[in-house]
Amino acid sequence: MLNSPAHDGRPEPGEGPREHLTEEGRTAELRPPLRRVSGRAVGVWTVRMLLGVALKLVLISVVAVMLTNLSLSWIPDRLSENARLLPIAYGVYGLVKVAVVPSWRYRVHRWEVGEDVIYTRAGWIARSWQLVPVNRIQTVDHTQAMLERVFDVATLRVQTASFAGSSTIEGMDADEARVLSEELAARAATLRDDAT
Amino acid sequence: MNPEHESPEPDGRPAPGSPSPAGPEHERSRWARGPAGRSDGRYPYEWQHAAEEPQQPDGGAHPQPSHEWCGTSGESRAFGPSYEQDATRAESWSLPGGGLSPPPRGPQGHPQLYSQGPWQGHAGDVPHGPQAYPHHGTAGGAYTSEEHGPASEPRQWWSEEASQPFAAESGRRLSPRSMVVGPINQLRSILFPILVGLIIGGFNPWLLAATGATVVMVLVGGFVTWRTLRYEITDDHIEIRKGLIRRERRTIPLQRVRGVDVTSSLLHRMLGVSVVRIEAAAGSTDAEDGKLDAVDAAEADRLRGELLRRKAVLTEDGAEPAGTEEGPEATAEPETVTYFEMPRSWYLYGALSLAHLLTPFALLATLIGLLQQSGAQLGAATDTVVGWLDSTDRALLTALAIGVPVVLVLMMPVFAVVSYTVTNWGFTLRGREGSLVAERGLFTRRSVTLEKRRIRGHELQDNPLERTRDAVRLRAIVTGLGEAATRAVLLPTGPRPRVAEAVERALARYEGGLRPHPRAALNRRLIRSVGPFLCTGAAGVLLEWNWLVAASAVLAVLGVPLGIDRYRSLGHGHDEAFVSVRSGSLQREQAVVERSAVIGWSWNQTLFQRRSGLADLQVTVGAGAGGYTAQDASMPGAVAFAADVTPGMVRPFLVERGAGAAASGQGHDRGAGQDSGHDRAPTADEDR
Repeated sequence: MLNSPAHDGRPEPGEGPREHLTEEGRTAELRPPLRRVSGRAVGVWTVRMLLGVALKLVLISVVAVMLTNLSLSWIPDRLSENARLLPIAYGVYGLVKVAVVPSWRYRVHRWEVGEDVIYTRAGWIARSWQLVPVNRIQTVDHTQAMLERVFDVATLRVQTASFAGSSTIEGMDADEARVLSEELAARAATLRDDAT
Repeated sequence: MNPEHESPEPDGRPAPGSPSPAGPEHERSRWARGPAGRSDGRYPYEWQHAAEEPQQPDGGAHPQPSHEWCGTSGESRAFGPSYEQDATRAESWSLPGGGLSPPPRGPQGHPQLYSQGPWQGHAGDVPHGPQAYPHHGTAGGAYTSEEHGPASEPRQWWSEEASQPFAAESGRRLSPRSMVVGPINQLRSILFPILVGLIIGGFNPWLLAATGATVVMVLVGGFVTWRTLRYEITDDHIEIRKGLIRRERRTIPLQRVRGVDVTSSLLHRMLGVSVVRIEAAAGSTDAEDGKLDAVDAAEADRLRGELLRRKAVLTEDGAEPAGTEEGPEATAEPETVTYFEMPRSWYLYGALSLAHLLTPFALLATLIGLLQQSGAQLGAATDTVVGWLDSTDRALLTALAIGVPVVLVLMMPVFAVVSYTVTNWGFTLRGREGSLVAERGLFTRRSVTLEKRRIRGHELQDNPLERTRDAVRLRAIVTGLGEAATRAVLLPTGPRPRVAEAVERALARYEGGLRPHPRAALNRRLIRSVGPFLCTGAAGVLLEWNWLVAASAVLAVLGVPLGIDRYRSLGHGHDEAFVSVRSGSLQREQAVVERSAVIGWSWNQTLFQRRSGLADLQVTVGAGAGGYTAQDASMPGAVAFAADVTPGMVRPFLVERGAGAAASGQGHDRGAGQDSGHDRAPTADEDR
């Protein structure tokens, strides 16, 4: 355990006077990670998303048909009359999504292995940045789902002692991912750090 | 290409700068075994581009290249070792990229070492070591870090595992009998629904056919698992590959193996096989472990022995320089210190605890459940109850129906105090031999021992009721997620000053405060707590369901104080030793975690958060809940905060800016100066 030296004039733990600690001008900005994922990942995402949209479209159509035809008493008329708008609206939304999201995501998804930290950025409208030190890596998973094999990309997943510290790089070039996974596993094995 | 990118030496070279405990003959044995350098291992990564520059600062220019390989030069550093896959797959590994010349691997500097290495030539031509090492070690390349500034610390990881007198194993399969065990175990879990389906369905041909298909599929699945799963122990990791369509390969460094668990059920024993589970991470989830279901019993024993032996060797080498073995010193003074003994007055605090307040209802539910069960089994009992209900006066029944809940509610505080007392009777917190021992309980005396070196911090929890009396609960944040939730209670609900005192004596006190989050966070908290009910209310209006509108209105109004309180409890801060994060209202939690235990950061930002410049900052900790989130902190502030806490981890990825140039430039130097700086607590006072 670290024992911090006593300090004078420090606030009580937890309930300290906040005026000392207001959110002042100290700011910093993360730069984007250096490397992009493979361009073929766009294909994977597009196909996957198309399949997902198609499946949901079928489900919504079924619900819409049921709403229109069954005319259950507890469903208001206004809803059952306009039910056929549901799949149309979802279809339009889905197509726009398929057209926009994969390339957008490709622009956001980035990764970098720094000196001893893996830095990733993922998402599209919601974004997440993650830092995972190499010396805390516990397992390195290199997975290729069927679609990913078709497009020759892979997903690299790095896990640490904490579930929250797991980092995933989707859509890397398969060979590159394999090299990196070997590399990281080896470095993690040699960089011993028990603090987990 | 930089010579040190290519040369395999980093992991085996007895570098003078690195405190390698291994003797020369160890080095030799490892060298003889490999790893052979991949001289064509062109790394396509960005940080490699320096490698293509003709200027070679290390291998060529410096008279003492070995120092450079230790990374002390500050120009570049080599990482190693890395692993190639099996020789059979090696062709697919060549990476795109220009033909880079093989590095100069002259014997200059280390003739006696080079003369032993089998890798003078091109990696492809290199004969393997005598033990037919199936893995080529790649040099791993050097990760040139120009933008990161000079590095000052020698890297020592290769020296830590410099001597493993083991040969790697080739891929092994599971026992063929696993084709029997696996499907049987799988079928057993779906046996009951299948039987019920068959009996109810009256054995109609469709159901029979579906059942047959299921059985065949499970059997085929068992066969495929056996065919495709391979495991392999190398000298520093175990690799499990599986999958026909979805291929998966799990690599677990032996250093990370926490235990090897061999179990066998009755079925397994009958077939002479065992399940081997390699516990890797602290997590209790299967996803993080390596599971071999099933191997021969003898193979399981061998595997366990082999894994633990190899891990022990790795650990031996790594432990001394890492300085993690605190055990022996701590055991030298086996005296017991009492940090806390619960005063009598504390038992009343039980009335504030929500969990204890709900005990009567939990008891009632259990009672009803019991009655129902026995009633279902014994028709006679039901008859008796029904008969009694019939014969009893209706007025009395009504009185009972109203009276019992009222009494229960009135008795809640009493029950809570009783239940709190039974659980926490005579609570003591002692320190003994480097551990904290918490003892409690009236009937069942429960003693929980937590190793101090596994404690990464503490957590203060309170609910709104407890806040009225300024009472908190104390839990430890311990590595190993398994049973931590129930085991980590350090103090029961009690007054905050006394709890703080106990924290100070038993652990260490958090000196920093908490900085509030921006005003925009208040709006978001309010939207979160009121918004959903406004939506359901609107839906109610649309559907003309008045009860929904009324309920939503009430909940929405209640959501306002909740949202405000949630905002008020948000905060994060740090001091020299700890990071702290607080959130929540009905269950407010303040986590205080050692800075050295921070094993990562993540920032998550939704579209709405981005528009108001907020982000959720998650502190990753390999202990307790795994991550503690500062909700809706300002994004730039959160990045600066993380950079203050762990400069070595965050600073390399920051944008250099003109405005904060003075502070951040200076900080950058400082951060880069201490390379794995998250293990240290820099003097961060000037940051505030």
